[in-house]
Amino acid sequence: MEETQVRKFQKDLNGGLVALVLLAVLAATQEDLYGYEIAKRLQKANEGEALFKEGTVYPVLRALSAAGLLTSRIVPSYSGPPRRYYRVTEEGRAMLRQYRDVWRQTRDFVDRFIEAGITP
Amino acid sequence: MTPAAPRSIDAYLKQLQAALADQDPSLIQDAAYDAEEYLRAEIAAHPDKSEADVLELIASTYGAPEEVAAAYRETEAKVKAALHAPTPQAAHTPGLLQRFFSVYSDPRSYTSLFFMLLALATGIAYFLIAVVGIALSLGLATLIIGIPFFLAFIGVVRVISLGEGRLIEAMTGERMPRRPVHPGPAMGLWAGIGAMLKDSRTWTTLAYFILMLPLGIAYFVIAVVGLSVGLSCIFAPLAGVLEHVGLVHASLSIEPAWLAATLPLGVVAILGIVVLTTVMHVARGVGRMHARIAKRLLVNPS
Repeated sequence: MEETQVRKFQKDLNGGLVALVLLAVLAATQEDLYGYEIAKRLQKANEGEALFKEGTVYPVLRALSAAGLLTSRIVPSYSGPPRRYYRVTEEGRAMLRQYRDVWRQTRDFVDRFIEAGITP
Repeated sequence: MTPAAPRSIDAYLKQLQAALADQDPSLIQDAAYDAEEYLRAEIAAHPDKSEADVLELIASTYGAPEEVAAAYRETEAKVKAALHAPTPQAAHTPGLLQRFFSVYSDPRSYTSLFFMLLALATGIAYFLIAVVGIALSLGLATLIIGIPFFLAFIGVVRVISLGEGRLIEAMTGERMPRRPVHPGPAMGLWAGIGAMLKDSRTWTTLAYFILMLPLGIAYFVIAVVGLSVGLSCIFAPLAGVLEHVGLVHASLSIEPAWLAATLPLGVVAILGIVVLTTVMHVARGVGRMHARIAKRLLVNPS
């Protein structure tokens, strides 16, 4: 019961954060990345259990691309279907800065209450 | 009840498609495409493990089919809300007249009209590609270059079909695939050609290409005739005035003659507005109907 509550909380949090992380990952690199590469980078960065399933990365990539924050191109691959490589657009970079500010505000706000609420 | 964990890529894709069965076929195609890209890359990254072993761990990395399906469902709902603003609905029930003219405030009417005009050009191109491709495929079938030609032809047809889908989604708002159809499990050359020949979508896509010529001609004629009749009627009084004051010296004639004899130009203009508005309605209707045809023929009803 407690376990599912925690998982649900994590899932609710991820809703918007996955988009922020994906934008940041793509903005930080010069090269274009495809879905699998991005998913693996995120998995590697988080040593413990993954915060979100890699399968959830793809629909968010598509949504960001549909909103014009990413552009993509298709490249044939030897190991399977052609891969879709993503790159962040100028609009996406501007959005990332705004997302970052919102995230920092939210984080500081939440932290202030949590520190006071939990006594060691 | 959850089905047994999939042990192969095919089984995984089948479960994913089943979990999305109530969704738009285009979304199912996109989701299966993404999953296949990931699964094949994951298997290629672990050459020492068997397909079944890799798939065993998939539920904890990529996610089980139901989890992934849920993610697509949520994102699709959000994207749809963001991309397609709800069609404006008047708070009160609008009158018949207001409903008749509301077609001008719907952007789909204009894009559909544009699609009708464009359909002549795309229709001719698709028809030519399909007919030349089929004829050459049959003709070259006995020669060695017949096989690469057929494969290239089907590849080109699939790419064009994706492009046509994107065009239709832009023009009519109907959800169409945003990914090409996934090529399916790797198989030998002959098995691959056999699968292509057995795939009903290959044939329905070609049927669509051929159908686009008569449809394109019809759409183009309806749009051009409707627009020219409507607009010329609307501007008839203006032309009459200009001629009366001597600014233009065109001999203004209205055919048929009985119309000119019985109706004043003002009434002709009102008729023109009715004709033009009807054309906009027809365009919107054609857009919707065509989107349904395209979906039936171009998107796999899996």
